Amino acid sequence: METNYETIVIGGGVVGSGIAYHLSERYKEGVLVLDKKYPMSGTSGSTQAWVWVHNKTPSWYAEFNMYSAELYPYLSKKIGDVEYKRTGGLSPFFNESDREKALKLAESYRKIGIKIKVLSREEVLEKEPYMNPEVAGATYSSIDGNVNPFRLIDMYMRAAKRNGVRYSTYNKVTEIKKQDGKYSVVSDKGAFECKNLILAGGTWSREIGDMLGVKIPVNQLRGQILVSEPLKPFLNFTISGLRQANNGEVLMGYSMEEAGFNRATTLDVIQETANMAVRYVPGLRKAKIVRAFSGIRAMPEDGFPILGKVPGHENLYAAATHSGVTLSPLIGTLITELIMDGETSIPIDRYSLSRFG
Amino acid sequence: MDDKSTIICRCEEISCEEVEEVISNGGRTFDDVKRITRCGMGPCQAKICTSLVAEIIHQQTGLSLSEIPLPRMRMPISPIKLETLATNSTSFSAVKSVLDEVELEEGKVR
Repeated sequence: METNYETIVIGGGVVGSGIAYHLSERYKEGVLVLDKKYPMSGTSGSTQAWVWVHNKTPSWYAEFNMYSAELYPYLSKKIGDVEYKRTGGLSPFFNESDREKALKLAESYRKIGIKIKVLSREEVLEKEPYMNPEVAGATYSSIDGNVNPFRLIDMYMRAAKRNGVRYSTYNKVTEIKKQDGKYSVVSDKGAFECKNLILAGGTWSREIGDMLGVKIPVNQLRGQILVSEPLKPFLNFTISGLRQANNGEVLMGYSMEEAGFNRATTLDVIQETANMAVRYVPGLRKAKIVRAFSGIRAMPEDGFPILGKVPGHENLYAAATHSGVTLSPLIGTLITELIMDGETSIPIDRYSLSRFG
Repeated sequence: MDDKSTIICRCEEISCEEVEEVISNGGRTFDDVKRITRCGMGPCQAKICTSLVAEIIHQQTGLSLSEIPLPRMRMPISPIKLETLATNSTSFSAVKSVLDEVELEEGKVR
């Protein structure tokens, strides 16, 4: 296998593969993606994969997510059917006292041009007839949706490979050295050299950064999800907490636990998730659950993406974030611009690693 | 398997050819095959196709069967109704609502 590349991406998940694909559109120099296992074996393969904008705060962060959601229809035209659906998103609330908060959220978004409606009980039930009639209201945005994460990453990989990107999988990076202005990346399958190095290790970002003495403060946050048998199509929207996939399965869950890399599913959280699902959509009571799964989210210390050049290290880039599915088309586009043009079409200074001091 | 159209996963109707393609693209485990093809994601949760897929991985990669990890089994093993899992409690700790995460600061959204 060729050992010299212009650019190496460490991590082939939704962020790393998104970057590799977008690079390959413009860039004909060699690109190699290294993955310790096979893409999707970590976070990117254990997600409900909402493409989600509304409820993210502050509003400038919602705006960043919106730009990425706007790229999805175009992306699916370029790489193939990833089952992206812009369903619109509903976040229900059950206490009338939450309406004030919802209205304030809508107001903060209006200033940046994202429309959120705060719906009455009747409006929620008109949009989503299977929602619990005890609902008090919901916030609604038309920009939200979901995607099939497996199709998304598979299509990113296929398109990138067609454009000449190489993948080396089941190949863990063990050491990174800087010598003679180049990076030498030592892996289980040998050493590779490159000019540009992109760290897209997701939940493992800290460990990869350590190899270069760079602190990338990303923690782990576990989420547990239940999957139903395929049901007739009956949910119209991506509801924050559950969504129906193209094949009729309903995915349910919105849990957060600090459990390191432990990917166990636990009865207490499964029961809470079941309680949430029947509270939102009582008709699911009789639906059969075929599986529970859990995934480990990558969560930067302050919750916001870490993107761009690594200060003090020439030709070194970092991309580590929560909401990788939502953000991957935008992150791929911006990192490509940074490498090829030296600047990005929208500012990303606030996402620099330098903010952690 | 000589006939590449042979169905390996009956629940999701995944053929031998589809499984082989994943392995030729670098997949090494049942779960790699599962995520790309949906093989084993149906109602039986891989109870029928596990050993068939392992056999194909073995044939294509030369890995011995003992080196091929089993698919990860998860609750509830056999499908059960959601109401059996629900306890009807309305207090939540690990499970959040998205709106809970929106924080107000001096009466304004952060």
